[in-house]
Amino acid sequence: MNARETSRVTRLRAAGPGATAKARVKRYALLVCAFALGVIGLLAVVAPTPAQALTVSSTTARPNEDGGDHVIGGLPTRLTWEGRVEAGEELESITLTMPEGGTFEGSSTRVTVLDGLNRQDVAAVATPDGTTLAIVFDEPIPEDSLVRLEVTGVAFPNADGDYVIEGTYENQLGEQVLPSSPAISVIANTPVQGLVNWLDQQPWVEAWNSNPFLSMFFKPQILVSSFAALFPGWLVCLAIVLVAYPFAILFGLCFAFMKMSRFIVVRAIAVTYINILRGTPLFLQIYIAFFGLPMLGIQINVYILGCAVMAINSSAYLAEIFRAGIQSIPVGQYEAAASLGMGHMRTMISIILPQTVRRVLPTVTSDFITSYKDTSLLSSVGVMELMMYAKNMTAITGNITPYMTAAIFYLIVTLPLIKAITVVERRIARSESGQGPRPKGGELTEEDLQLDLAQDALAQAAHAEADEPAALEPAYLPLAREGA
Amino acid sequence: MKWFATEEAGVKKPSHLLLTLLCSLLAVCCVAVLAGCGGQTAEPAADETATEEPASDVVDIETVSDGKLIVQSDLAYAPMESVPEGKTAEDAEGFEVDLVQAIADKLGLTVEWQQVQFDTIIPAVKQGGTVDLGASSFTITDERLEEIDFSEPYMDSNQAIVMQKSAASSIPGFDVSQDVAGTERLDAVKAALDVEGTKVAVQSGTTGEAWSQENLTKAETVPLADVIQCLTGLQSGLYNAVIADYPVMAYYCQESYTDLEVVAAIPTGEQYGIVVSKDNPGLKQAIDKALAELEEDGTIAQLQEKWFGQAS
Repeated sequence: MNARETSRVTRLRAAGPGATAKARVKRYALLVCAFALGVIGLLAVVAPTPAQALTVSSTTARPNEDGGDHVIGGLPTRLTWEGRVEAGEELESITLTMPEGGTFEGSSTRVTVLDGLNRQDVAAVATPDGTTLAIVFDEPIPEDSLVRLEVTGVAFPNADGDYVIEGTYENQLGEQVLPSSPAISVIANTPVQGLVNWLDQQPWVEAWNSNPFLSMFFKPQILVSSFAALFPGWLVCLAIVLVAYPFAILFGLCFAFMKMSRFIVVRAIAVTYINILRGTPLFLQIYIAFFGLPMLGIQINVYILGCAVMAINSSAYLAEIFRAGIQSIPVGQYEAAASLGMGHMRTMISIILPQTVRRVLPTVTSDFITSYKDTSLLSSVGVMELMMYAKNMTAITGNITPYMTAAIFYLIVTLPLIKAITVVERRIARSESGQGPRPKGGELTEEDLQLDLAQDALAQAAHAEADEPAALEPAYLPLAREGA
Repeated sequence: MKWFATEEAGVKKPSHLLLTLLCSLLAVCCVAVLAGCGGQTAEPAADETATEEPASDVVDIETVSDGKLIVQSDLAYAPMESVPEGKTAEDAEGFEVDLVQAIADKLGLTVEWQQVQFDTIIPAVKQGGTVDLGASSFTITDERLEEIDFSEPYMDSNQAIVMQKSAASSIPGFDVSQDVAGTERLDAVKAALDVEGTKVAVQSGTTGEAWSQENLTKAETVPLADVIQCLTGLQSGLYNAVIADYPVMAYYCQESYTDLEVVAAIPTGEQYGIVVSKDNPGLKQAIDKALAELEEDGTIAQLQEKWFGQAS
């Protein structure tokens, strides 16, 4: 405390009267002008700053759009007003005036007086009254102090526009007109906020929220606003995984073939790639990519980098899935294909891969679901995706509901996919045990006929001793026809 | 094939049923236990107040766990609170860690530190039942006061803008010889940062985040889990600047991130307080009393000397 007092005293002594003070005033005035025009760039009204006058150094309002960055009129927000007491001046009180339609009613004010970076012990009384807020200091504020007012719970007029805080102040010479503040741009209330406000007034909502569990996890107001706020994050999640996944499939297939290669070097490369990626957490890989590459001087857009990391990570898992799928196809299929005079490529493309696709489809879908959920890890490195929006909203509201909304957004995608896997798996199980759908008659193309012939041959060759040779007929053919 | 299928189905069905039954039983038990926990935490606390007689001059204090003060913090904010390399939350150190220890000594409690994400602390304290205090360099604001209570302030602070040394020198109108706390520097930095395409990293839920959102409206404010992430990202060029509490930023720039510097101080004069639940006024009173005593006997000044090299 003592150190603070002395620093204030030295400051007071240092600020001499006369020429230096005038130069300082000019400099401040210029800076205020430059700041107002250059930074805010809006309709900042810069009043000519007379000598010996309080200067308004900044005025801002906290965005009160849930999950957005706008200041919405008609809803509580926090106004931060800063002014500097100029040389030769002693500030006794300030009265701020809100434009017509706005209100200070019900607000609370936090007054901070600073000398440089040192907080001064100054008590003040703030009295809100409609569109005005009067702040009276217990003792006059000395020159060169920064006065900072944080007014929580104020509301701007509920209409689009740029608003200026005006008012008066009193110094040792009497009442003066306060220079206008830089403009604050405000938007009119949005439909979502309107719905939230409506919910605020419903008795059933109040009853619901009186239960601490329900209000912490499923607060209707936050549920509504977070649905709107989290939506862009959900799109980012979807976009990342939808862009990444085709690449993951492509890379996965490449590495699957590489791992089955005849050449040990190629195999070694694939095994190393797959094992390292599968053996380390995705979280770590994200950190390495997001913090490592920039240190090498490689700057990549975070969304592209996010897609790349997801694709590379998934490709390792897919490579294993594909390899297992391909190797699960009985050797008899290769032999039968060879007996029909098919080359290696032809066998792969028209006999093995189609059967593999059918077998790996459920596993690949599971992997897709995992990848989709894992995009949430990107939030830790500043990619604005679903989890990030939810986290921010939870931080602001102090409520868990945004996380529940995020859960709903994840489930919207994952539940139908999980259902789809179940259906496909059942179908495969049926067809593999010989209960699958039979090809219906109808028109067969030349290619179909050829394939049918090939399958008959395959089935006979591979399962000559089986009771029901048709049992192993690949389901992709009937499936394809049903789809057509 | 058919006989095989039917037999399989015949065998599987009862086992499925059994499994389903077992699983649902387990789930019900879990829920019951959880619900029980939720209920219990409130009850014994209420009993304590009724039965325990105020011993000597110690105020009647309820805590989640008897004789213990469970404190949540992000512990990544040196020199306020941090975990030394290779240690765990038990070995946390820093100004606030020592301060809480000193308070706990006065109250006759042992401190247990829990390392959690900064933005989850206030909801956890508000919810109650798991944690007594939040001590993570919380600035006292009216918004936060709507959710929880604060102890009396124990330290003043300001905000700081940190940039790469190389980037700072190219800001027009920026002069290293100027006072770091001066308006000239702040205005020059603000003008340089408040343009489209600039990214400012902040810790999620902090006053630095709010300042950036309000004052750098054209720049993108990127909220991250802790300041270490912010500073590492700034170092690697992911972000253009970091905004966080001045004492902490000054410390990190001097000790660990020597290629970064505090380019401007933002005078906010904010004050740190310890987060206490609104449902536990006894604990708040006890802490305030202890803080007043620690201020009186010079302990706080000593700790400031120890961790900041000066009494602020």
